[in-house]
Amino acid sequence: MTIDERDDAPPAIPEVTQEAIEARAFRVAVAAFVIAVAGGLSAAWGYWSDEDRVLGVGLGVALLGIGFGMVSWSKYLDLDENVVQQRERLRTTVEERDDFAEEIKLTKETVGRRKLLTVLFAGSLASLAVGFIGPIGSLGPKPQGERQRTGWGEGTRLVTSNGQPIPASSQIFDQLATVFPEGSIGVDDGQVVLLRVQPGLLTERTIERGAIEGWVAYSKICTHAGCSVGLFGIDDRKPDTLRQLVCPCHQSVFDPVDSARPIGGPAPRSLPQLALAIDDEGFLVSQSDFDRVVGPISWTEGET
Amino acid sequence: MSDETMSPETAPETEATPAGDGAPEPVFKEDRTLVERYVNNVTGRLGAGAWLTKTLRKVFPSHFSFLWGELALYSFVILVLTGVYLTLFFAGSQDTLTYTGSYAPLQGQEVTSAFNSVMRISFEVKGGLLIRQMHHWAALVFMGAIALHMARIYFTGAYRRPRDLNWYVGLTLLVLALAAGFTGYSLPDDLLSGTGLRITYAIILTIPFIGERLAYLIFGGEWPGTEIIGRLYPVHILIIPGLIVALLALHLGMVWHQKHTQFRGPGRTEDNVVGERVWPSFALKSIGLFFLVAGMITMMGALFTINPIWLYGPYDVGAATSYSQPDWYIGFLEGSLRLMPPWETQIGPIVINNIFYSGVVVSAIIFGGLYTVPYLDRRFTGDRDEHNLLDRPRDAPTRTAIGVACITAVSILFIGGAQDIIAKTFDIAVGRVTTILQISFLVGPPLSFFIARRVCISLRDRPGPRRTERESPVIRTSTGGYEFLEPIDSDGVPVDQRSTSNGNGAGNGAGNGHDAGHVSTDSSGSPREVAEP
Ligand code: HEM
Ligand code: FES
Repeated sequence: MTIDERDDAPPAIPEVTQEAIEARAFRVAVAAFVIAVAGGLSAAWGYWSDEDRVLGVGLGVALLGIGFGMVSWSKYLDLDENVVQQRERLRTTVEERDDFAEEIKLTKETVGRRKLLTVLFAGSLASLAVGFIGPIGSLGPKPQGERQRTGWGEGTRLVTSNGQPIPASSQIFDQLATVFPEGSIGVDDGQVVLLRVQPGLLTERTIERGAIEGWVAYSKICTHAGCSVGLFGIDDRKPDTLRQLVCPCHQSVFDPVDSARPIGGPAPRSLPQLALAIDDEGFLVSQSDFDRVVGPISWTEGET
Repeated sequence: MSDETMSPETAPETEATPAGDGAPEPVFKEDRTLVERYVNNVTGRLGAGAWLTKTLRKVFPSHFSFLWGELALYSFVILVLTGVYLTLFFAGSQDTLTYTGSYAPLQGQEVTSAFNSVMRISFEVKGGLLIRQMHHWAALVFMGAIALHMARIYFTGAYRRPRDLNWYVGLTLLVLALAAGFTGYSLPDDLLSGTGLRITYAIILTIPFIGERLAYLIFGGEWPGTEIIGRLYPVHILIIPGLIVALLALHLGMVWHQKHTQFRGPGRTEDNVVGERVWPSFALKSIGLFFLVAGMITMMGALFTINPIWLYGPYDVGAATSYSQPDWYIGFLEGSLRLMPPWETQIGPIVINNIFYSGVVVSAIIFGGLYTVPYLDRRFTGDRDEHNLLDRPRDAPTRTAIGVACITAVSILFIGGAQDIIAKTFDIAVGRVTTILQISFLVGPPLSFFIARRVCISLRDRPGPRRTERESPVIRTSTGGYEFLEPIDSDGVPVDQRSTSNGNGAGNGAGNGHDAGHVSTDSSGSPREVAEP
């Protein structure tokens, strides 16, 4: 049958009679409502006997039963119909328009007569709005450079989240550790990833920026949108072992042996590097705070 | 007052009130039947004698695509009901405490009150997990229904005058729904929701001039602070639902007042509505649909785990996990963040960061574009007329093709939001998947535009399938009764008749057409006459 035929010929008269359809719909409706009752009761039973699944499924069955019941009911009643109703026109008559123009004219002649009062009224409302800005300001403090400072400083020990300092003599290579400045464990902006690699792998500038004996430390906050850069990948299938720091959120990739410069994904900037030193007791400490803002930047923080 | 509200048996026992515009208003002393009680207790006091009857007799056209809006409405009802239950247990606070609940792996861990209370809902409150999972599933269904509903409006041209007003209202509802979903998703203070908030904070930070101050105002200071959950809570349960209810009332009120659009068909004109009456046929089916939706969501809540925060654990500033995707409706933003190349621009002292492009600019383009749809349509088609008959998508190839291109673009962003999962599944490097998706983002939309346009044009001139409804229209008579016509024999009447019969009785019944009890049936009411070319 082509589409054209289908369009022009009246639809084939169905074999099933209307009565048969209705009788069936009636039976379905009865069955659906009976099942709904059973569902509701089993839900109650499920609650009392601590069967969470039974409670949920019972309620679901009850609701679905009622739904099917109502739809079949309407099928049984054979309510499909084509009723014609006229639309009212969505027009404004000339009189209505003139009436409104009258109102505007009235307004101008009364309330609008004294310009000074109108202006003062508007001005007083505006000043009210200005007055209410204060309380809105209390929602948060003014930024005062907190984002430029972290817990790191001269001689601050690197400690793990349970407070252990890191001995520089530790011989664990290619293992990522999350460390915080001693005294502010768990504070967001101080989180740092610490890594030891064979010193020869590090690039010149990485060493200049404060890597020591193969130890390198970077801010753990992704410069893209601020997630914690928690994945360290080593791929030693290739001749040169490839090391990557990966952010799990949007897959930015940083190169840990080359000052964590971004080598893939959406992050535009490298992770700020923490300059390291070793204190008298042989533990790792920071030389100073980061020289840049950590994490994502705001609109004022151009690259220096 | 219409006659049928008076039953003839009940003679007025006291004096009849002076006749207004015809029938005297009887005052009953003894009431027996429902009709009498209604007349005496309600309309006798409000003077709205015809209102309910008129409402019950309002005509709605039917088509499966008209169901999406109803589906959205009903899932919202379920959201409110389940949400109210959750508020009775949820604690909107970031005070920390030690978890001592029944989920062993987290026992002894420091968690916030918010996280703890959601754990309690999930493990200790009998039936709590069911309600919580229903709430979340209903949110997903809600968004899906809204998206389909909006696509239906767009592809059929229902957003044109006079319904362009309602397009703006509907779009605002979509924005509010997204906000509701995002704030709700953030409340449990688990690892995933904390990560989402962290990213939001970063995006706000990048807004030129106000970013840093605004972020501090919203979060109560530098990230993470201790305020945000407590602030999102009233926004999620009061402010956004309140606005949604208000706009929904406006939205539905406008649909009601302007009357629903209908597809072209025999007897259907710009000046009438052909369909079923609210009572009983429309209501019975529609209420049935509500129960079906509620049943389906309950089943999903009972059988399928969603947002198992006990597996994610509480938010921890130093942690983030991979393969973590937000709820699906945020997927386009997630993809935009992942696919945007690492651009950063410096204009004078202002730095425009990468996530300003992917977070703010992309959203602004998407929603700004949607808000200008009615304007752009008027501008480029020059069509400012009122439209009550819908187009089939093929009838407007350019519009349809633009819609398809936009959906393609958003879908690619959506896929980009799961680029790590794709890379893992097919064992390809993530970077390569990203590049492929970036290229598809540039190539896909224009390509789909041309394909969709070609398909529309080649389909357009073919007649569509016969509509399935019975072709024996019922006509309302002037006394409020109904008259059944013999079935129209539609030989030679093309189904997609473009009968914009403004001259054909448009003015008739216009004045009192508002009053459904008094629709005049002149010749224009006869479908047969209108349908004839
Ligand atoms: C307007 C549409 C709404 C959407 C899209 C929505 C969405 C969500 C989502 C996705 C969640 C996370 C649930 C989870 O933990 O998996 C949530 C949580 C919550 N919602 Fe809603 N919601 C809506 C309306 C409401 C309303 C009207 C209320 C109450 C009056 C409410 C109360 C809550 C509460 C108390 C929670 C936190 C408890 C929990 O996470 O289990 N929601 N919402
Ligand atoms: S936050 Fe790290 S890639 Fe987006």
